[in-house]
Amino acid sequence: MEKVLDEYLEKMEKYLKPIPVSERVDIINEIKSEMQELQCNGVPAETIIERLGNPKDLAKAYLGDLLSKESRFRWNRFLTVCAFYSLVGFSGMFVIPCLGIIAPAFIVLGIGAPVLGAVKMIDYIFNLNIPYMENIGISLGEMVTFNPVTEFIISLIVGVLICLAGRIAWKLLVLYCRKISKTAGRLSYEERE
Amino acid sequence: MNIEEWKSQIKRGTLEFCILLLIRQQSSYGYEIISILDKYPIIAAKENTIYPLLRRLLKEEYISSSWQEGTEGLPPRKYYSITDKGQEYIGAMSAEWENLLDAIKEIKGE
Repeated sequence: MEKVLDEYLEKMEKYLKPIPVSERVDIINEIKSEMQELQCNGVPAETIIERLGNPKDLAKAYLGDLLSKESRFRWNRFLTVCAFYSLVGFSGMFVIPCLGIIAPAFIVLGIGAPVLGAVKMIDYIFNLNIPYMENIGISLGEMVTFNPVTEFIISLIVGVLICLAGRIAWKLLVLYCRKISKTAGRLSYEERE
Repeated sequence: MNIEEWKSQIKRGTLEFCILLLIRQQSSYGYEIISILDKYPIIAAKENTIYPLLRRLLKEEYISSSWQEGTEGLPPRKYYSITDKGQEYIGAMSAEWENLLDAIKEIKGE
């Protein structure tokens, strides 16, 4: 091939440095193939170079996507990632431990209350004289005494309500974690792009 | 009136579609694609547009490529052919294209 054409390809290769070697070689080979094709058709080297334009511009056209894509969102991405992790860090510090304690504790209490209520009621009905039964009761600041059957019904209702609250807390916790991992996943996906 | 600006926008929006249609018609190499498009001024484009576009289509797996040795003094050529994903893409683009033509037709009141 003529010297001017080789020089053209050398220059192009230099400007294509940001592209991995294997791809770069392929790009150069393709342009070279077109040069040879044109030469076969009897087109003089000068006309070929004129047709292809400045080697720097041709190389830049390949880099175009690469450069604009990266520089455009690198800074934005940095801020997004920072904002995301600080938000998660701060909110997670409160949200996860609070919900994490509330959920199981409420469920255990919700089950526990009616069970104890039932024990007291059974004790009362069958006169079993189980010890410490006087410690079980409805407390609103101080012990309020009702008929143990009424107490059992109240404890059952309160227990169900507390259980429901525990379940809601648990669902919120799961939702929160899912949302975070989803967003984190999306962020790292964008990074790979 | 600046029709050139509008024409270049149309070209930008449809070149990908045209190239894929062309490659679907028959496997082809860069110079040949450029030469064929050259016949139609509205979508004619130079090397610095076509090659990077082909590379992008390749990366997105709408087309595949293979080098073929040249015979009888001809240089080796990098042939592009359409992939299944490319076929699907063309199908979707064609449908949208029809939508556009229908919309224009209707708005024009024909």
